[in-house]
Amino acid sequence: MGTADVVLPASRVVPPWRASLTVAARRLEDVWAQIRRSRTAMVGLGILVFFALMATFAPLLAPYGPMERTPNCNALGQLCPPSNEHPLGTSFNNEDVVSQVIWGSQVSLFVGVVSAAVASVVGTAVGLISGFAGGWIDEVMMRFNDIVLSVPWLVLMIVIAGIVGIIDLWGIIAVIGLTGWSLTARVIRAQVLSVKERMFVERARMVGSSNWHILWRHIFPNAFPLIFANTILTVAISIISEAVLAFLRLSPPSVISWGRVINDAIQGGALINNNAGWLIAPGLCIVFLVFGFYLYGYALDEILNPRLRRR
Amino acid sequence: MGKLLRVAIQRTVNAIITIFGIIVLNYLLVRLMPGNPALSITPRDPRYGDLINYNFRLFGLDRSPGEQFLIYLQRTITLDWGVSYRWNAPVLDILLRDLSWTLLLVGVSTIFTIVIGMVVGSYAAWKRGKPFDFMSTGLSIFLYGMPIFWLGLMLQAAFSPSFRPFSWWPTLPNKFYYDDRLGAWIWDWAHVSSTMLHLILPALTLSLGSLAGISLVMRSSLMDVMTEDFVLTARAKGLTERAVLRRHIFPNGLPPMVSLIALDLAFIIGGAYQVEVIFSYQGIGYRTIAAINDLDYPLLQFIIVIGGAAVVIANLISDFILLKLDPRIRIA
Repeated sequence: MGTADVVLPASRVVPPWRASLTVAARRLEDVWAQIRRSRTAMVGLGILVFFALMATFAPLLAPYGPMERTPNCNALGQLCPPSNEHPLGTSFNNEDVVSQVIWGSQVSLFVGVVSAAVASVVGTAVGLISGFAGGWIDEVMMRFNDIVLSVPWLVLMIVIAGIVGIIDLWGIIAVIGLTGWSLTARVIRAQVLSVKERMFVERARMVGSSNWHILWRHIFPNAFPLIFANTILTVAISIISEAVLAFLRLSPPSVISWGRVINDAIQGGALINNNAGWLIAPGLCIVFLVFGFYLYGYALDEILNPRLRRR
Repeated sequence: MGKLLRVAIQRTVNAIITIFGIIVLNYLLVRLMPGNPALSITPRDPRYGDLINYNFRLFGLDRSPGEQFLIYLQRTITLDWGVSYRWNAPVLDILLRDLSWTLLLVGVSTIFTIVIGMVVGSYAAWKRGKPFDFMSTGLSIFLYGMPIFWLGLMLQAAFSPSFRPFSWWPTLPNKFYYDDRLGAWIWDWAHVSSTMLHLILPALTLSLGSLAGISLVMRSSLMDVMTEDFVLTARAKGLTERAVLRRHIFPNGLPPMVSLIALDLAFIIGGAYQVEVIFSYQGIGYRTIAAINDLDYPLLQFIIVIGGAAVVIANLISDFILLKLDPRIRIA
């Protein structure tokens, strides 16, 4: 073997996918260090972990199932007042309200995260394509986006719920996902427009990269932090949307979620029956879960958005 | 100037296209909903079988979808808004009455929201990192995440006769827009004062629910400006803090607020729907939910078109204000 051609040992040759993985991991470590330093992010994360644990261990924490009929505490048809057995009383079929609230965390988290993911994927695709393509494609997509943004969102959700038909959780996810993508698309498009003008995109085009390659390997990675932070904020909005729909009884009949417990409390006359906890507990759960997502999302936005970081 | 005019015309054309899109989408959505309007307003009794068919033809539902769409389009554009299936009254009459109540609610709370939100947001930005900033930002995010319907329920409970922690604690009415024992609306003091009293809780709910959006963006937009170099320059050349705020920070921080407020209008209207349902406040939102249940096509179609068009027009106006306010847009 001549001296001219040095052969690297096989272990030193790093395939490109592993190189980019290492870079991503290092970036992630860097972000995690900043998250640990941010008090806002840690408080938000703490709240999220609390609810995640609640949802995971609901079968152990909740004394009863969400729709399980507990033994009557008085004549049929009357609601039990708060007692040691049922700290928040019981609902219409003698279901334990505390258990319903604990099980409700599963529904809120699942619907919130999955429908935000749907909305984010759709919104990101629309934002990326319309920002990158420009021209008439951009025009058509943005006009459609304007239309969806302008129609009152609650009406849009109720009408689409009527069309899709809510028979299970996927129906709700479809409704929220189909109505929630438009703000994301707008945010992503603005980011794409600014990334598109940077030098490296021009260089990539100079060396003959295809549009697809530029979009996927240069623009998407640069917009990704924003997409991620935005998705977390979208989760918060989705959770509220789910609660509003469930409160209006537009939720699958077999699923107990917090919004529906609040509706039950109103129909069961929680205040008149001296059982205000029935009304307050599920509402506080929604508020704190959403608060956690917002805190975490805003903190992440500040960390990942380089323009804000210089402050 | 020619360029400015061109931008203005382009925006106007876009707004018209968007409104046309809303009209089309609206037709599709409403007609795609399952159910038969003739069936939903007719009693469930075999004796009324002929009435169903009669109504079905009366509403023009036996025509082909394309024909129905053309009729709808022609009527929308000529502002011939038809007769409500459910209420058997001209849609325009119903809408004007409801709209006046919704405008009262949305108007009062929007003004309150904008003024308080901007004051709180700018003060928080000014006192950045101080306790006030921390408290107001935390509270804003907390309120921001609160479902408006639940906030309304809590306020109702807090001022209901069954919850009075102190003897001086007020109770506030939480249903309808004025005391329904007063009879039909006339302009006298009893009606006006009753309306004002009935407006407190719904307007407070709507304001608290949308306050946070304004104050948070105001804060971040002012803070963006405060880190700019020209603010440092202004301070360095010895301007007072007030002058820096008035001459340099506000003129540069306000333009984003204008477009935000216009965009926020869509969310405030969405919130107003929830508030109206909670408080049985019989405005547009209350009517919409009822109209969806009744499949009242004429009513529903125009409610959605009006709501959408209002948002589009508000955005267009904010675009024009921005063109006037922000020199950068004028040049670019």
